[in-house]
Amino acid sequence: MSSAVVDQHNPGPVQTPFGIDPSSPIGSVIRIQGVNMVYPGRDGHETHALREVNLDIRQGEFISLLGPSGCGKTTLLRIIADLLEPTSGEVLVFGVTPRQARMNRQFGIVFQSPVLYEWRTVRNNIRLPLEIMKVPKAEQEDRIDQQLDLVGLTKFANRYPHQLSGGMQQRVGIARALAMKPALLLMDEPFSASDEFTREKLNEDLLRIWKISQKTVVFVTHNISEAVYLSDRVVVMSPHPGRVSSVIDVDLPRPRSQESPEFFSLYTRIRRGFEGVYHQP
Amino acid sequence: MKTNLWGVGLVWLVAVALAWEWGAHLLAVEFHDPMAGSKLPYLHAVVSTMVENSGVLFEAAEVTFTQAAIGFAMGGLIGYVLAILMSVSRTVERIAFPYLIVSQMIPVLGLAPIVFNLVRDMNASRMVIAAYITFFPVAANTLAGFKSVDDEKRTLMHSYAAGRTTTYLKLMMPFALPPLFAGLKIAAPLSVTASILVDMLGSKNGIGVKLLYALYGGNMDIFWASVVTSALLGVASYLAVLGAEKLVVPWETASGPGDGR
Repeated sequence: MSSAVVDQHNPGPVQTPFGIDPSSPIGSVIRIQGVNMVYPGRDGHETHALREVNLDIRQGEFISLLGPSGCGKTTLLRIIADLLEPTSGEVLVFGVTPRQARMNRQFGIVFQSPVLYEWRTVRNNIRLPLEIMKVPKAEQEDRIDQQLDLVGLTKFANRYPHQLSGGMQQRVGIARALAMKPALLLMDEPFSASDEFTREKLNEDLLRIWKISQKTVVFVTHNISEAVYLSDRVVVMSPHPGRVSSVIDVDLPRPRSQESPEFFSLYTRIRRGFEGVYHQP
Repeated sequence: MKTNLWGVGLVWLVAVALAWEWGAHLLAVEFHDPMAGSKLPYLHAVVSTMVENSGVLFEAAEVTFTQAAIGFAMGGLIGYVLAILMSVSRTVERIAFPYLIVSQMIPVLGLAPIVFNLVRDMNASRMVIAAYITFFPVAANTLAGFKSVDDEKRTLMHSYAAGRTTTYLKLMMPFALPPLFAGLKIAAPLSVTASILVDMLGSKNGIGVKLLYALYGGNMDIFWASVVTSALLGVASYLAVLGAEKLVVPWETASGPGDGR
């Protein structure tokens, strides 16, 4: 199984190596249908973390899950990643269950914090998934060099995580996910701990990497301008119960300027949508 | 920074030596204490006795230290395996851990003769007692280390579809190395003490025997020389573990911005 992933190492256009569900729309890599996530509460009250979520994510697109805390955006990402199981509904990732997709190592995850192993150098942190996937030694080195170059950390290859800045640590996390050569990259508020300037730089880098590697990216954020800046589509979610309130196409050419009127009008449109949410009792 | 630490260490050493000499001087000259020689002899006198008897003392120390080291290694290994078993299975932990604590309530002074009667061999007794002293701090610290692995680090392994063995080898065991060494550092001098104690319970050789004979014979010079030698053995065992830690846990000591973990 994993050999299929291993063999897929040219960074050209990604062909999905695992059969796409014929019933799904052409190029759909993730299909989410009628997904509910319900937590039983102490007093018999159920918490609807997600209610009736339907979403198709297309091949190669950059899609953001945007919303305030409690809207279930991270829950949805964790369901796709098989870190949580939905109460009901169906999720297909590359036409198979999330569990199977995880077993096939078809996606890489970047967490909110870098989650580096402090006893491993930068180089060996990136190597971690490759060791587990039993990638041959020589190819490990090639892939690590390639990813280090991509995230601009070649000079820091032999440092330990605590010797790096927060932004650099997060880049290592991204390089580690990309080294698996997954067709799908799941990112859970990866830059939310960074300051504004670092975040902008990381966003630019991420877009550059996304263009080169042509992966499908699912990006969770609570930052409206970040979502508009990065995404092909923004999935706007709202809380109580967590649900998808709208899906907005961002048809602005890249590189996008945050100061352009088109950018601002989209930003405002999404923002207005949230105002109702916050004024609810 | 490094040279600074050495400097501080040197200053302390000199200060302690001076305080010792001065204390001995006070007892012998100022207070005219007739027992000054046994209460606190001059440091230089102790050192010269050690040098004069270095051959005998070294031979005795070697016997005690070697058995302690072997017992320490065995105890460390047993403690580590116990920690793994207890972290793999809650049931094993629930059953075993209370007994491990009880085991530490038994005074070694009472245990040593029992062990000797069982194994009927002085060297084996030293090892068993040293191992007995060692395994608990190692098991307890390592288990605590395994339990404190962050959820996110585990989730990462889960996302790679890593099996249990892989997770232990690549995450749990390296993560728990610093607490393992914390346990080893506690246990190392204790295992030397345990070995000396067994010496005293009727052994024919070892530094504990020298200590005991000197005490009974009223040979205070040799007694103090043995005491200092014993202390040096404890320090040596600690430094040996510290050195091993520097080799095995390099990320803790690597300098750079930030403060490690």
